[in-house]
Amino acid sequence: MVNTCYIPKTLEEALVLRKEKKAVPLAGGTDLMVAYKRGVGITPIFPFPVMIVTHLDELKGIRVEEDGTVVIGALTTSVEIARDERVPYFVRMAASKMGAVSLRNTATIGGNIGNSSPKGDLPQPLILLDATVVLQSIDKKREMTVDEFIIKAKKNRLNDDEIITEIRIPKPDYTYGYFRKIGTRKANAISKLTLSAIMKVESGVIKDFRASSGAAGPKVARSREVEKLLIGKLVFDLPSLVEDFVDAWDGVISPHAMPEFRRATTKNMLRYFLLECAKLPKSGIIE
Amino acid sequence: MAVTHITDKMKRVDAYEKARGEAKYLCDFHLPGMLYARMVRSTIPRGNILSINLPELPDGYYFISAKDIPEGGKNALHMIAEDYRCFADGDVKFIGETIGILVGSDRGVLYELEKMVEVTYEELPAVTTIDDALEKKAIISGEDNIMCKLECEMGENVDEVLSKADSIIEETFETGYQEHVHLETNSVACAYEDGKFVIYASAQCPFYIRTSIACTMGIKSDDIIVRQMTTGGAFGGKEHFPDVIAGPLIVACNKIRKPIFMIFDREEDMEFSVKRHPSRTVFRTGLDKDGNILGTDIKIYYNVGAYLTSSYVVLQRGVFHSTGVYRFPGARAWGFGVATNCFPTCAFRGFGAPQTLYAIEMHLDHIARKFGYDPAEYKKKYFLKQGEETITQGHIVEKVMLEEMMKQITDASDYYRKVKEYAIGSGKGIGISFYNHGGAFTGNGEQAIIKAKLKLKKEGEKVSILCGSTEMGQGFRSIMRKIVSDTVGIDIDNVFYDNPDTSKVVDSGPTAASRSTMVVGFLCEKAAKEMKERWNEGDFEVIKQYEHPEGHPWDQTTFRGDAYLGYGWGACVVEVEVDKLTKEVTTKGIWSSHDIGRPIDELIVHGQVNGGIIQSLGYAALEKLECKDGRFKQRSISSYIIPTSMDFPHQEYFFVDNPYPWGPYGAKGMGELVFNGADSAYMGAVERAIGRDTFKIPMPPEDIQGVVDRK
Repeated sequence: MVNTCYIPKTLEEALVLRKEKKAVPLAGGTDLMVAYKRGVGITPIFPFPVMIVTHLDELKGIRVEEDGTVVIGALTTSVEIARDERVPYFVRMAASKMGAVSLRNTATIGGNIGNSSPKGDLPQPLILLDATVVLQSIDKKREMTVDEFIIKAKKNRLNDDEIITEIRIPKPDYTYGYFRKIGTRKANAISKLTLSAIMKVESGVIKDFRASSGAAGPKVARSREVEKLLIGKLVFDLPSLVEDFVDAWDGVISPHAMPEFRRATTKNMLRYFLLECAKLPKSGIIE
Repeated sequence: MAVTHITDKMKRVDAYEKARGEAKYLCDFHLPGMLYARMVRSTIPRGNILSINLPELPDGYYFISAKDIPEGGKNALHMIAEDYRCFADGDVKFIGETIGILVGSDRGVLYELEKMVEVTYEELPAVTTIDDALEKKAIISGEDNIMCKLECEMGENVDEVLSKADSIIEETFETGYQEHVHLETNSVACAYEDGKFVIYASAQCPFYIRTSIACTMGIKSDDIIVRQMTTGGAFGGKEHFPDVIAGPLIVACNKIRKPIFMIFDREEDMEFSVKRHPSRTVFRTGLDKDGNILGTDIKIYYNVGAYLTSSYVVLQRGVFHSTGVYRFPGARAWGFGVATNCFPTCAFRGFGAPQTLYAIEMHLDHIARKFGYDPAEYKKKYFLKQGEETITQGHIVEKVMLEEMMKQITDASDYYRKVKEYAIGSGKGIGISFYNHGGAFTGNGEQAIIKAKLKLKKEGEKVSILCGSTEMGQGFRSIMRKIVSDTVGIDIDNVFYDNPDTSKVVDSGPTAASRSTMVVGFLCEKAAKEMKERWNEGDFEVIKQYEHPEGHPWDQTTFRGDAYLGYGWGACVVEVEVDKLTKEVTTKGIWSSHDIGRPIDELIVHGQVNGGIIQSLGYAALEKLECKDGRFKQRSISSYIIPTSMDFPHQEYFFVDNPYPWGPYGAKGMGELVFNGADSAYMGAVERAIGRDTFKIPMPPEDIQGVVDRK
């Protein structure tokens, strides 16, 4: 058992190593080092070659394009995301509540998506916002939504010659927003349940509605079909639509552990958000 | 020259080295030629071992098991009984029982070898819960799976009281396992130096280890030296458990004659070490028509696991604290230590008292609310007073200041306004609890069993404190030096205390039972007084031994008499808000008052209050540890949830001045007391907020949801 570890100097080198050696990128190491640790004083052994990409500046940083799309380099850390006001609220909140400070200083957005855990903090708001992930190989580049990218727990569509290079978040357009993470405790917590939702209202009509549930099934749950139940409806009709809607959303999530809690609490939060929207308060985040 | 006075708030002498990470723990040490060891453990809760197939071991690698115990030795660790086997032999009694250890120079190789060891079993039916054991799904101990039991009663005959009561309220309360989450994981090394075995251990009780493994080896205790290494936050988990590592290591070292280290991984420490006893407490309480308590019959069940360890003593403490800080006209308590095929449970801060104290507090809250009384006022009617009879038909020796303490915390928290304002079920709640903790060993145990000794040694202007009591994060090292500095009148820098080495110090008993300051500190004060008087005699030593105050009878066979000479007393108010959507609980305020005699150092005891209360709130709110078919489900610090500093707010704390005549400068024990009551105050507050009675802890949001959904 020998660990093979590469340290590419550039993205291009990394892409070559990825294609030729099938080396797995290790960025912050907060997932891989834990997954393959063997104990105190023993070096982890990875069942695949690894390349350390932490230092590749090409994959770091946040920029905003002309149409308002926020582009986050895959090696950007949670702390950097949480601090940057240009990043949509939901993603910033999720980044700020991820693990402990030390973890947030080193964990990256690319890693969090690549790890594809249903309890991962960032995929949930990214899926809400129809964010896309850019996958690059030495030969080509492709882009798909984070929702398409993550298949189920720990399974995604990354090919073995590809690297996640950036995440693109279209400019969100909403009147009301909601974000909640129920962690195992008040800090340094893994999610027990998360929920984000947004609603766009024009002249009393619901023009757009989206929700995404994290830690409530094998992957982050969204359903455009169920969301459609509300789109086009009048905000004032929400009180009469709410129960049917939350029941329909209940069919979208599939929690394995603590099902009663996760189902009841998801309904409670959605019901609360919708009934608050029905009051047509000042636009913004509903706490 | 600066003398440190008792009234000075002192910075702990070890604070800087620990905060800076400079303190050296066992895993930081290396010995020439040292090897490592890794345990091979049982993977089933009960069964016969049919075969152990080892992989081919490389040169310099060994597998050590029961067959390696030398002639004259015994496959047992002498804790209180000798039932805990050093190695499983022929059969296994719980998941995680030591079958053998692999020894060699490379931990990576040991890790791989362990995975290749194949043990085949004939599985036998196991009992892994209190219910399984009581229903006799299998018999694993005696005739009825009850490994130990006792009964106590006081006052009027409880059967008669219950037969004529207007109503009887029967309630059952349960508490879960709790993991210590020691600061550093369990770690022990054994070497053979100059004809003696030397144990280096992260441990609370060096002399316990020596006795325990001398039994295994069949040698004299004096042929073993135990050196305590820096130990932080042991919480009872390192009272007996280090024996379980030291035993196999000394057997291995005897054979291999090289230093051998065993350092647990965190996950290993969480899955395969002792825990707090899960409990069930059943009250049948007789009331008159106004809800006054006439008497109570209490049945207490503790899950002790597969071996006795300290469980009988833990159970006794549970029984002796089961009526809380109250006197009822009649009370009877039965305690049952239930054997299961689970990892043995053992000491944990509070030592059996927290389980029953939680139960009695909730029980009284429920009765009070049912009859329309405020819980604080209702409980106050039954406060024990000086001279009154306890459940062991002994007496409360000291002045009891609960009413003063209650006033301090109800004033500070604005309790009476809030109980009026926060309607039942409003999402806001406030709860109050009262509790105590008997200091030191039960009854005359200090005199009959421990016989603590302490030595002071004067060399020039310097004084060394020589005793077996240990620093484990509680501040013992600082307190002892302070006592000598103040009493003798010398600079604290001229007072020395090192981690004990059993070949150099006298046995002052285990560092447990909130006894170190109270009992050993008192010996230290006495020795220091004598030393001061004889200061000009040159270099000399003073040894003091424990003397039991006259007039406090105790019968350890019938459990009658003065169970404790002095109690610490506590009162706590906790205020919460429960989120209506998510059932997340936010603690808004914590107010406590404690009677710990006279504080030996206000800063250090403040640390104990803060830590003990947070640990108790974690026990109530977060720390779920489930054992499924004999295996713990939460095995890492990401799944076993202890509080962070963000989870609970700033605490307001008070003390009352009530000097204790047999403690140094009036101090009583407090290390465990501060764990004993915040849990029930918290649950009382949660109950008010959600408008439901609860019957178990821990109670994380998902379980609160379950209570609210309960029809």
